[in-house]
Amino acid sequence: MSALPQLIVAGIGMGSIYALVALGLVLIYRTTNVVNFAQGDFPMVGAFLLVICLFHAGMPYWAGILVALAGMAVFGGLFNLAVYYPLRNRSYLPVLISTLGASIFVQNTVLAAYGPQPANLPPLLPLRGFQVGGVFLDPQYLVIIVVSAALVLLQYLFFEKTYLGKKIQATAQDKETASLIGIPVRWMIMLTFVYSAVLGGVAGILVGPIMYFSIGMGTAIALKAFAATIIGGFGDIRGAILGGLGLGIIENLGAAYISVPYKDAFAFLVLFAFLMVLPQGIFGEKIAEKA
Amino acid sequence: MPLLKLSHLRVSHGRVEALSDVSLVVEAGEIVALLGANGAGKTTTLRTISGLMRPDAGDVAFEGRSLVGLSPEMIVRAGIAHVPEGRRIFSGLTARENVLLGAANRPNLSRHAREAEADEVSALFPEIASFRDTLAWKLSGGQLQMVAVARGLMAKPKLLILDEPSLGLAPLIIQRVFDIIVEIRRRGTTVLLVEQNANMALSIADRGYVLETGRIVTSGCAAALGKNEAIKAAYLGQRAA
Ligand SMILES: Nc1ncnc2c1ncn2[C@@H]1O[C@H](COP(=O)(O)OP(=O)(O)OP(=O)(O)O)[C@@H](O)[C@H]1O
Ligand SMILES: [Mg+2]
Repeated sequence: MSALPQLIVAGIGMGSIYALVALGLVLIYRTTNVVNFAQGDFPMVGAFLLVICLFHAGMPYWAGILVALAGMAVFGGLFNLAVYYPLRNRSYLPVLISTLGASIFVQNTVLAAYGPQPANLPPLLPLRGFQVGGVFLDPQYLVIIVVSAALVLLQYLFFEKTYLGKKIQATAQDKETASLIGIPVRWMIMLTFVYSAVLGGVAGILVGPIMYFSIGMGTAIALKAFAATIIGGFGDIRGAILGGLGLGIIENLGAAYISVPYKDAFAFLVLFAFLMVLPQGIFGEKIAEKA
Repeated sequence: MPLLKLSHLRVSHGRVEALSDVSLVVEAGEIVALLGANGAGKTTTLRTISGLMRPDAGDVAFEGRSLVGLSPEMIVRAGIAHVPEGRRIFSGLTARENVLLGAANRPNLSRHAREAEADEVSALFPEIASFRDTLAWKLSGGQLQMVAVARGLMAKPKLLILDEPSLGLAPLIIQRVFDIIVEIRRRGTTVLLVEQNANMALSIADRGYVLETGRIVTSGCAAALGKNEAIKAAYLGQRAA
């Protein structure tokens, strides 16, 4: 099967997108205990911001990306202030509903601003597909994989090697004690939202060239990112990455060898299997870490 | 002017009044013990000092300035480090990382200075060296208490407040923790110590206060409080040693 490597590369590419969105989901969950139902709208907003920069403001690609990502940072901050912050001392349910409402609001804002027609982004690299050892590779998938891997590495270094990273980890583990030792908890949460939104924006910008997207694009991505976090072990960063990549590969192989129309169903079959057999996910939440 | 002055504090948890009238004074350079039985309101008093709770009435003054309404972050910046009940060490971080985070109240400190200060603080607890890179959830109670006190000291506080540091520790380790508290004071940090272990606390304190159901019922110098059998029986919940 000479198509297999190609299918796997494309699967890892799509899986990286799920992983980036899942990472954002997990980071917000860990710092605020909130499952953000608008997480899938982050890539949608990022992709549309870039569409506006490129096709309406006529910016060059690199400038468009910078502006779109800066826009995502602002969006993440506003999202925190409007959706999470006013409800931060309430139980999880009001916040959860607030994120659902935000999702609807964001989608309709983009609908009003841009319209219902689907959009597409030009490829990031002006390269044709090429053959490596008889395998055809779409360079956009390679861009996705390289950028995602670099981001994950940077994030790892940030959380493990910097003082600010440790302060955010401390905030995620115990907010009261974090504030007691002088960590500005509010700002740590703000940073988490900003970074999650930028991650989502990157995912949207990366996936834009390989699919036509519209305001609803986030729903499918969010569902798979969510599935990825459950498969990996909810709240676990490694789990989100592994779960995202695994889902991407499995759905691509399933579509190629079993059934194309059921492509989206494979993710949920895998999710279902995990919920039945290994409900705590691959990396399961360690009890000791919650203590 | 006393370093810390609580005047007529009244504090409640929702509808439950935990403190009805607490006044006390801590002078610079002292070790002051705050004693009382289970549920007397010791933790509530400390949490009010460090800004985790707001008083319904009364005042907390530090170096003559009221702290009421300030956030915990601002209070630790002002110079009060609170080592909480149950240590509350970040379990997913290592011992060393926990200690380093104690300097979070001074964001402008360079990495180099922070590491140097952590080395200096850790010199008080040579035992930390053997588990400095161990994740905290693997540490024993005594080890966690060392890390908690070291993290508190990393704030370079003028006043260190400790909530039941002896809780759940073996006698030998308790002795070690109390020796460290004495050394901390010798180096110039004032200490407010909450304990149920009254004998131990009074053995190192200069003065003490006894709290009973939300009010201060007795106070005095540690030696006198320690000898007062009636107080022991009535308020400290333990037999004379
Ligand atoms: N979160 C809370 N909600 C409601 N009531 C509380 C809460 N925390 C404490 N209380 C009540 O406030 C009173 C004082 O509690 P506090 O924890 O200050 O006592 P303590 O002297 O520290 O006791 P211990 O020795 O058990 O630590 C108790 O009656 C307690 O039941
Ligand atoms: Mg207590």
